[in-house]
Amino acid sequence: MFERPISRRDSIRRMLQLAGGVVLGAAAVRPAAAAADGSFLVDGVGRSQGFSIQELVKKTFDAGGGIEKFVKRGDVVVIKPNVSWAREPHLAATTNPEVLQAVVELCQAAGAKKVRIADHTIHGAARCFAVTGVGAVAKNTGADLVHPRSSLMRDMQLRGERLNVWPVFTPIIEADKLINLPVAKVHGLSGLTLGMKNWIGAVGGRRNALHQDIHQTIVDLTRFFTPHLTLIDATRILTRHGPSGGDPADVAVLNRLILSNDPVAADARAARLFDMDPDSLGFIRLGRQQGLGLDDTRIADRHQVVV
Amino acid sequence: MKLRYLLWLRRISQGVFLFLFVLLLVKTRLPTQAVIDYSGVMEGRGDVAVDAPVTIFFQIDPLVWLTSFISGHTLIQGVGWAAAVLLLTLLMGRFFCGFVCPLGTLNHLAGSIRPSLKGRRRREVNQPSPARGVKYGILAVVLVSAAAGLNLAGFVDPIAIAFRSLALAVLPAFGIGLKEIFDAMAGSDIKLLALASYAAEEIVSPVFGYGYRTYQTGWIIGLVLLLILFLNRIRPRFWCRFLCPLGALLGLVARFSPLRITSDAAACTGCGQCNKDCQGAADPLSGYDGPSEECLRCFNCAGTCPENAVRLQWRMPRTAGRKAAPDLKRRAVLAGLGAGLALPLLGRLDGRVHTVYSADLVRPPGSLPETDFLQLCQRCGLCMKACPTNVILPALAEAGFAGFWTPVLNMNHGYCEYTCNLCAGVCPTGAIAPFTVAEKTTKPIRIGSAYVDRGRCLPWSGNGPCIVCEEHCPTAPKAIYLVTAAVEGPDGAPREVQLPQVNLARCTGCGICQNKCIVRGKPAIRVIAAGESRHLRNRILL
Repeated sequence: MFERPISRRDSIRRMLQLAGGVVLGAAAVRPAAAAADGSFLVDGVGRSQGFSIQELVKKTFDAGGGIEKFVKRGDVVVIKPNVSWAREPHLAATTNPEVLQAVVELCQAAGAKKVRIADHTIHGAARCFAVTGVGAVAKNTGADLVHPRSSLMRDMQLRGERLNVWPVFTPIIEADKLINLPVAKVHGLSGLTLGMKNWIGAVGGRRNALHQDIHQTIVDLTRFFTPHLTLIDATRILTRHGPSGGDPADVAVLNRLILSNDPVAADARAARLFDMDPDSLGFIRLGRQQGLGLDDTRIADRHQVVV
Repeated sequence: MKLRYLLWLRRISQGVFLFLFVLLLVKTRLPTQAVIDYSGVMEGRGDVAVDAPVTIFFQIDPLVWLTSFISGHTLIQGVGWAAAVLLLTLLMGRFFCGFVCPLGTLNHLAGSIRPSLKGRRRREVNQPSPARGVKYGILAVVLVSAAAGLNLAGFVDPIAIAFRSLALAVLPAFGIGLKEIFDAMAGSDIKLLALASYAAEEIVSPVFGYGYRTYQTGWIIGLVLLLILFLNRIRPRFWCRFLCPLGALLGLVARFSPLRITSDAAACTGCGQCNKDCQGAADPLSGYDGPSEECLRCFNCAGTCPENAVRLQWRMPRTAGRKAAPDLKRRAVLAGLGAGLALPLLGRLDGRVHTVYSADLVRPPGSLPETDFLQLCQRCGLCMKACPTNVILPALAEAGFAGFWTPVLNMNHGYCEYTCNLCAGVCPTGAIAPFTVAEKTTKPIRIGSAYVDRGRCLPWSGNGPCIVCEEHCPTAPKAIYLVTAAVEGPDGAPREVQLPQVNLARCTGCGICQNKCIVRGKPAIRVIAAGESRHLRNRILL
């Protein structure tokens, strides 16, 4: 099937033809990686006593031009949270369910035909969904929550520097709009787990082999998936013993959100929350060098909202 | 009085109990709808438990209660149910066999649908047979072994057989078949098939889950069930008549039941139709002098009698003129006593009980020390069915002869989920003692300990970076830590890598490191039983 190289666009189109997504044509003409001129970055900060996460999310999107700018009526929106571990929300190993719920509701209000939450978890998916709160979000909002399984993995040509054919979790790419919603935390090998690394949770196969060239594989996966938006959840971050954590003492509450259509800039901005130089992280440096995005300081269209 | 309604009552009851059994069996897993409420403050909450465990079927089983009591000197939870069953049996006979027992119902179905024995032949074989004494011998084996410290009940207890067979063989076999079909459909190039596979998988997932669930020795477990069902072609309810130790135990009690099946002498023509259709070969034609301990209370006699001559009477059994004991064939019972003494001794010969040396014998968290464990474990498979990662398997040789089919963890197969306590929640006898997730993680409950195999490990052997074990380690702080060092690569040049090391003081032996290691089959980090907290003598650190 993959004797001749096929482009990412081809493979998506082909996948859709084969697996029969509801959404067909629209996904095949997805925009390429965020162009430098249209890039923006929003810093959302919750500062007031008892501020609402929902409001912080809403204001952050508004500063970026409003959710309607990205989600059109009738779109199928896929949100990729990071719920790899069966950890309770306060342990900061997984995406804050309140942020997730707010994003789902914004998409629904903007007229999305369907909002789907998909992640290929590391711990058993049923327990991850139960414990991280993502199951409750799906129940509260009516969003689709896809249970990962072998029949939903399909070998695809990633055309990366390092990754060639690899099984992809298909519900993630059967989308009109793809929103990356990771949590910010430390990681023993890549340094930090932010938005770009979250795409490891969108593939199947022997994911534990990716660590042998972690930075380039992260960049390859980011290029393949190319999210329309990245919203990094830094409402609370995991500062030690990542990526799975488990001790509330390792959690720092920052009440921050970072929204961008540039996956590299979003990660670079988030790295600074850990007092790290973005260029000290291999995947950010490589991503920038290979043209996936810019350093956050080079983004002209920057805003900060304080709630 | 016409008794045909009893026949229908029995059929309805069998249907209801079999349905209930299968339903609870299927639901012995993480509830599909379990979600935590995270609204408001995000804090810890209660543990996720199996909402309707099948454990109740073991609690109403007097054999489970009796063997646990004799062997482990403990009264298991819900012992009142077993007492109630015994009391009702004393009143009404072996109604449990005819009305409740799921294995009995399966046997009943297997023997009644297109029976192999018909007509005169069936009447002839349905005479009381001396072989029915065998079950008392089996009961003797089980009880004597229990007294000698080895609980064998689970091999022959009908509830344990039914659960083990359905949960570890029948259900997974169908599940694997379905999953292969779904994967093939999803992989096909026909859109409609892929969509259908997606929908169908969602529909069956509450029963079969989303993955391939497999169990070591599952094929033996399945074959045993097939054999038991096949025996119905030799004699209807062969198992219940000749082999079942629970039937024997209930029979001993039922012998004193004042509820007797008898016939209206005026109406009975002696045609023998009742004997032909009798499920227990209890000879209803002989009336109330017949062996009531063999009567399964199926009421086929009442249903089949052309003259409606079968009656139920409440009267104390006539003891004069009957044999003192029920069909306790002396030889069968003596053989049972001998075997019951021999098996526990033989079971200790391979040294797994007293000498702790088996690295593979990793028991579920909360398990009692080995000798206590073998006194209580029913080998029923509840923990194996409930386990979300499929890590708990029926032992083949890991636990020695005495521990065949007891639960062991194989970390290549799954791993012990750090925040999970489902196995302890469903264990009917407390062989896996109940614990909370907080206890498991803070005490902590250790099931073993992990060791790095430096020759295989990618960083240690200089073959490349990899921190997968450290990344997955669930304890906080992590039991696996990384030491940055320069090692010699395959090309002879030094390369800087992060070397995984295990801090035994923190390792609980959960095995996710082994399960996720890139080296398959014999991973570069492996868990052995040494260090488990259940054995004082198997601990490592002071």
